[in-house]
Amino acid sequence: MSQHPKRGQFAKTKDEVVLRDHAFDGIQAFDRKLPNWWLFTCYGAVAFFVAYWFVYYGTTLVKSPQQAVKERILAVQAAQLAELNQAMAGLNDAKLVHELATHPLYVAAGQATFMKNCIPCHGLDLSATQDDGNGQRIPLRGLPLTDHVWKFTHKPMGLFDLINKGSPPESTGNNGVRMEAWGQKLSPAEIAQVLSYIISKVPEDFTDTPAPAAK
Amino acid sequence: MTTTLTYDDKSVRRFMVAAIFWAIVGMSVGVLIASQLSWWQMNGHVLELLTKPLHDWVTAKFGWDWWPFFQTDGMAHLTISRLRPLHTNAVIFAFVCNMMFAGIYYSTQRLCKVRTASDLLSGIHFWGWQGIMVAAVLTLPAGLTRGKEYAELIWPINLCVVVVWSVFAINFFWTLARRNEPTLYVSLWFYIATIVVVAMLYIVNHLSLPTSWTHSYPIFGGLQDALVQGWYGHNAAAFVLTTPILGIMYYFVPKAANRPVYSYRLSIIHFWGLVFIYLWTGPHHMLNTAMPVWLQNLAMLFSLMLWAPSWGGVLNGLLTLRGAWDKLRSEPALKFFVAGVIFYGMATFEGPLLAIKSVNAVSQYTDWTIGLVHSGTLGWNGMMAAGMFYWLAPRLWNTQLWSKPLADMHFRIGLVGVLLYIAATGYSGISQGLMLNQFSPNGLALKYTFLQTLGTIQLFHILRMVGGFLYLSGFILLACNIWKTARTGNPCDETVEITVLEPARKDDMTWAEALINEPLAYILLAIGSTVLWFFLPPHADKAALMMTLLIVIMAVRAFKSSDSWSHWHERLVGNYLPLTVLVFVAAAIGGAVQIIPTLLVFREKNVEERLQELYTPLELAGRDIFISEGCHLCHSQMIRTLPADVLRYGRAGVADDYSRYGESLYDHPYQWGSKRTGPDLAREGGPMAKDPQGKPCSLMRVGNRGNPWHFNHFLNPRQISDSSNMPAFPWLFEQEADVKSLPNKIATQTRLGVPWPVMTPHAIRTMVETQSREIAASLVAAKVYLPAKPQLAGEELRDSLAKTKAVALIAYIQKLGACRPVAKEGPAMPTPLNPDSYRAMPNTPKTRPQP
Repeated sequence: MSQHPKRGQFAKTKDEVVLRDHAFDGIQAFDRKLPNWWLFTCYGAVAFFVAYWFVYYGTTLVKSPQQAVKERILAVQAAQLAELNQAMAGLNDAKLVHELATHPLYVAAGQATFMKNCIPCHGLDLSATQDDGNGQRIPLRGLPLTDHVWKFTHKPMGLFDLINKGSPPESTGNNGVRMEAWGQKLSPAEIAQVLSYIISKVPEDFTDTPAPAAK
Repeated sequence: MTTTLTYDDKSVRRFMVAAIFWAIVGMSVGVLIASQLSWWQMNGHVLELLTKPLHDWVTAKFGWDWWPFFQTDGMAHLTISRLRPLHTNAVIFAFVCNMMFAGIYYSTQRLCKVRTASDLLSGIHFWGWQGIMVAAVLTLPAGLTRGKEYAELIWPINLCVVVVWSVFAINFFWTLARRNEPTLYVSLWFYIATIVVVAMLYIVNHLSLPTSWTHSYPIFGGLQDALVQGWYGHNAAAFVLTTPILGIMYYFVPKAANRPVYSYRLSIIHFWGLVFIYLWTGPHHMLNTAMPVWLQNLAMLFSLMLWAPSWGGVLNGLLTLRGAWDKLRSEPALKFFVAGVIFYGMATFEGPLLAIKSVNAVSQYTDWTIGLVHSGTLGWNGMMAAGMFYWLAPRLWNTQLWSKPLADMHFRIGLVGVLLYIAATGYSGISQGLMLNQFSPNGLALKYTFLQTLGTIQLFHILRMVGGFLYLSGFILLACNIWKTARTGNPCDETVEITVLEPARKDDMTWAEALINEPLAYILLAIGSTVLWFFLPPHADKAALMMTLLIVIMAVRAFKSSDSWSHWHERLVGNYLPLTVLVFVAAAIGGAVQIIPTLLVFREKNVEERLQELYTPLELAGRDIFISEGCHLCHSQMIRTLPADVLRYGRAGVADDYSRYGESLYDHPYQWGSKRTGPDLAREGGPMAKDPQGKPCSLMRVGNRGNPWHFNHFLNPRQISDSSNMPAFPWLFEQEADVKSLPNKIATQTRLGVPWPVMTPHAIRTMVETQSREIAASLVAAKVYLPAKPQLAGEELRDSLAKTKAVALIAYIQKLGACRPVAKEGPAMPTPLNPDSYRAMPNTPKTRPQP
């Protein structure tokens, strides 16, 4: 801009810069037209406002957030159920004990899932205790899985259900601690793997499950 | 006629020194609480680690066993949840407000060419404000709080704030009235906006009914309280942290650069834009929650419209430096100003971004929001404050700045600090937000647990603390520099010769001229018909939109056809009272359009689907403990309408288990939260419990976790989850719950509209005893023990436990989420003033709530 800008009150045309007459404690101000890019963002936001409001309230194109989330969760639940049904269809006590729990790959996969999710409560060695660093075993929150005591059931499919749905509603928990419904976090296949791993640790508790009939 | 006058620069010096003092206090507390996020030991246990070796050494060496040391897992006064309000109050109301007062007192006198009206009022203002801040330091760590963010101070202090703010306002407007300058400069418009809007926000959001000298319940509850708090909280950012600092920018930047302001027209547009639009955006802190959708939409869309006016300020700040960039080398203040304005630009770009619903689904409740806030406070407020102090100090003490290299050093350390802070919080917030919303690859479950996400952000919590520490170090350098500067000079009040203005040349507009005119008529008509567009039923709303369009077209034609609009505004800014009234009106519209319909519509009689179960007296006592300890600062009670939120926090198998507004209808104050440092608690409670014989209990409930779990968790969270960063609350097991005040509290809540049944104090006491004993008995059965009295057992232990704060708190936690279904006949009817109810929703199966 020039060294001596025009004096006045307001700029009238594009590219014109006016130095306003009045000085406040030595502070002066230029006046100029508003920058176009700035104006466009301003108008753009207003246009977006009108369009968004119109589409949401004037049309039926958009679902309400409540409707959208409910439909999404219903879809997830339907898919969960379908997968569970599919997994359960081929699953029974005999298969769990005699096929899966004796399959090294399956048990290894179960071990990995167990280590990631279950050891905070059931312990590294499934005893629900933990070394406190001084050689003492201190109890953890969960029930021990290697003490041959099965509080709810020792039927493999019953245990599957227990892991899937968590502690039964009527249970008051182990010192108030109830197991969560792992079906919310693990797939049925993962639950079957974890269960195979647990069974493989205490196969003697499941000897009453008959072997599948030879085909 | 000319006269000689001396400006009151003593007040400026005082406010400036106070600001620096509080900055260091507030930021130190900030660094401490940042460290507590990474190391739970910083909640008081560290004192044991620090003092025990000395004790052991002294005992071993000299055989003294009386040498004191702290032995504690955590100290109440040093706990993060009690200190966080102290940090926010100290930096907002002590640091920034004192800095703002210094800037306002300095510039207003010079822009008005008159000494501040009353030295007495200035003195009351200064000492009153410092007294309020000292009261804050004493009450907040003691757990005395109203439980609303940035509005934590208890009601007697609130009254003092109102009185002192009024003293400030009287002093300021009196000064304006006596001015020797016909027209008000832009800075003064911003100061006016600050004073009237903060007064409005503060008073409305602090309306409460006291139950004692230190406790009160806000008159709004649930959704209404959330809305008022969002309106207040967001505009505390706007009218305490933004508008006064913009006013300061408009004075000090051109002064320091010695250049004219870039564009006068831009300053008019962005001033009115900010004042009008900001107040509509409060609900964007509750996007995707039980906040009605129309309020969410208004907040999001107005937030986007805020971008341009904010950047108007950025342009005027930065481009004023055109032709003066070389001065950055020689004037430290300018460097800080430039950085401050750039951070303002970044923060006001990021703000609207985070107000977009889908972005907010990631950012809400995470560190990203915290990062944005600090981009504004450290980047914009802190840098502008430092620049102003460096510019003012030599002038106030009539000397040179003691050390420019030290100021440069401050600039570099501060800049690195704030950048590190923003990067760390941004990274941690975005990662955590994305992780929490992520589904496992098969789409059937969530990929991460809450604890897993905490592990990911650990490092960034440490980096954020380092960033904060660097920034604090910069301010300590500033304090040294200003101290030395003051020591080398002498306090100096500037004396100037001015021309006295004839009274007739200022404030010459009649009220009719100011208020009844073409521009104002068009603007108010346009706003009015836009508001009709929001609220009218289908088709009528489109007619209102058409009308708005018509009015706007006519207004543009009227504006272009003559200069009368600009003449009116030029005269308006020479008349401080009409200007103030119009600023107030512009600011009040947004809040009124959102809050009044919400107060009328979202009430008990209109609740659909779910209605909150009333608390029992013991649960209410527990709730007051929850709020007093600041639990709500880390734990929300709001399941948003987002798939991940419903799956993570909702009840298994309930597809629509997001939170409804009816579920928190009677919560004074509301507990939706603003940050999830820990998981959400909305469904933590559960149904009535059964005793070991299987008989239902009369009052005790049990939720996701049993009473012993909570007992041990409050005592030592690490016992439950190794990696938990929650502080321990050992004092809850030593202190007794406040039961005596319950009858009074319940009576107060009844006056606020909570439908408590009629109960005698005796009945209340009996209920409290029954419930607390049921809980205590369940704890005794689980073989817990009181750390302070390990010898107790059996009934003795039960009765001892029953009185503790811990049991009351457990009672409250086990109640969370309790609500009953509300059956309404037929489809939902359209309700006036509720745009969502008019919305056509095809093929929506009307759902009944699952119990």
